[in-house]
Amino acid sequence: MSRLRDTVLPPAATFVLTTAAAELGIRAAHISPLLLPTPSAVARAAVAHAPTLLPALATTAKAVAIGLSLSIAVGLVVAIALSTSRFVERAFYPYAIFFQIVPIVAIAPLLVIWFGYGIRAVVAAAFIVSVFPVIANALAGLLSVDPALRDLFRLYGASGFARLVKLSLPWALPSVLVGLRIAAGLAVIGAIVGEFVGGGGLGVVVLEAMRQQRTDLVFAAVLHAAGLGLALFAAVNVASHFALRRWHSQEDET
Amino acid sequence: MKRMGARIGLALAVSLGLGCGDTRKEQASNPPAAAQPLESVRIALNWKAEPEFGGLFEAQRAGEFAKRGLALEITGGPGAPVVQMVEAGQVEFGFAAADEVVVARDRGSDVVAVFATYQTNPQGIMVHASRGLASLRDLFAAGGTLEVEPGLAYVKHLEKEFDLSKMKIVPYGYSIAPFLADPQMAQQVFVTAEPIAAKRQGADPQVFLIAETGFDPYAAVVIATGAQVRDHAERVSKVVAALRAGWRGYLDDPGPANAVMSTLNQEMDAETFRLAADAQKPLIEDDFAREHGIGAMSQQRWATLAGQLRALAIVDKEPDPGACWTEVRAID
Repeated sequence: MSRLRDTVLPPAATFVLTTAAAELGIRAAHISPLLLPTPSAVARAAVAHAPTLLPALATTAKAVAIGLSLSIAVGLVVAIALSTSRFVERAFYPYAIFFQIVPIVAIAPLLVIWFGYGIRAVVAAAFIVSVFPVIANALAGLLSVDPALRDLFRLYGASGFARLVKLSLPWALPSVLVGLRIAAGLAVIGAIVGEFVGGGGLGVVVLEAMRQQRTDLVFAAVLHAAGLGLALFAAVNVASHFALRRWHSQEDET
Repeated sequence: MKRMGARIGLALAVSLGLGCGDTRKEQASNPPAAAQPLESVRIALNWKAEPEFGGLFEAQRAGEFAKRGLALEITGGPGAPVVQMVEAGQVEFGFAAADEVVVARDRGSDVVAVFATYQTNPQGIMVHASRGLASLRDLFAAGGTLEVEPGLAYVKHLEKEFDLSKMKIVPYGYSIAPFLADPQMAQQVFVTAEPIAAKRQGADPQVFLIAETGFDPYAAVVIATGAQVRDHAERVSKVVAALRAGWRGYLDDPGPANAVMSTLNQEMDAETFRLAADAQKPLIEDDFAREHGIGAMSQQRWATLAGQLRALAIVDKEPDPGACWTEVRAID
């Protein structure tokens, strides 16, 4: 009970207070609904346009799920490959940073030319923006293995594969999960940008609503995207709770 | 190339660099009759400097604004949220489409059209002539990919009038490259822009005007807030007069203003400027404009548009067409 109070009450209180303040502030200042809609107008738009928003959310969620899964798979493999030797890391890591700095908005139109319209271009955009945090954090974890433990494995003649599976990966798990938390939010952003050019999902709802000057619907769609990001973040947190409680005692306390 | 879309992530208000430097020059060459300071007037474009704004640039070049005691500043650009900028008072005037005016008013905004550049809407669908299509109906029966900006009012109109189920509708990417690459591709255009560019890149484009399907809102409409129209009627009249004079000059000889615009929009070559200026003439100066003046509007056209937007459920309330526009007497 007290745990619920400690975890749910603070964010709920923040939500109620900021929403109420925004509602009152926007009304008091007589701001045009075209410029900034009240929270209640956004809520009404969300309800009225639910038949549009919910299928769009499902479309976006699917692209995010595929893109993020690709990021995890590719990111882990790349991180493991980079961690095998200093030489490989020096040779390739600078190029992995490319994914971090690529301006997704600028290359998004190219994705359509490379992958065609539709979900493939959207998945590609989600992947491109979310793979680097997975690589960077997994690599940091893999490289931080306690040298004493590494020596111990070597002393017992453990194979490289056994060292990877029984030592490096479990050791790196907390870092990998940190990378996932970052990647989850970025994948949603990447997917929305991908949808601006590739079509489908919440991205197109945002464009339509902008064009039709339904600012309240723009906000409602953005909130759906934010909800998707939050849900993924929560899923990663739950996963890390279960994955880490065996090895990392501090995880039990958070 | 088109349209005034919400291009998120891109610079929202691209200044075209026509600041006070140019206006000062204008003052020097065309001193106002009295030695009083010029009144500053800002006008936001919703696209790059192209012939659709030819009359504005010609008016500026020829000193039509300075002559009337106005110091013109041109701002905005592709993706600029012009209606919001006008509504928020960041600019006094802006360019929008007539349907945007009706929709903005429905959403609680107070913008009013004071000048309509295009009597016939220049928006259309461009296809490859090699497909041998005779009409939009043919296109929609044949299928293929259609690139349009999501949420365009006329797309809703087409969806109502025709069966679009065979079309794969994708967002317009502000480039004719996909069109050039795919012979089955169709895309939204301004008849004065993309078709000319496509032809110059070796394609054989064919355009079907949306206006021919009965949906024909005024385009490149100059808007202002209702409050400004009431409280600064004289300023509005002067701006309309300057625009009208500028358009007269541009229609007669687009060369000088095209030279100005081509320094601001270097993606478009001189020949394309010339061809586009030529192609748009009949859309701007038709019999109605000849009789009532360039930029004039009619209640009947606004009423038709309001009824169509209501029928398409793009507006939530019954629009008042008379409130969407105002007849401005041009003052010289």
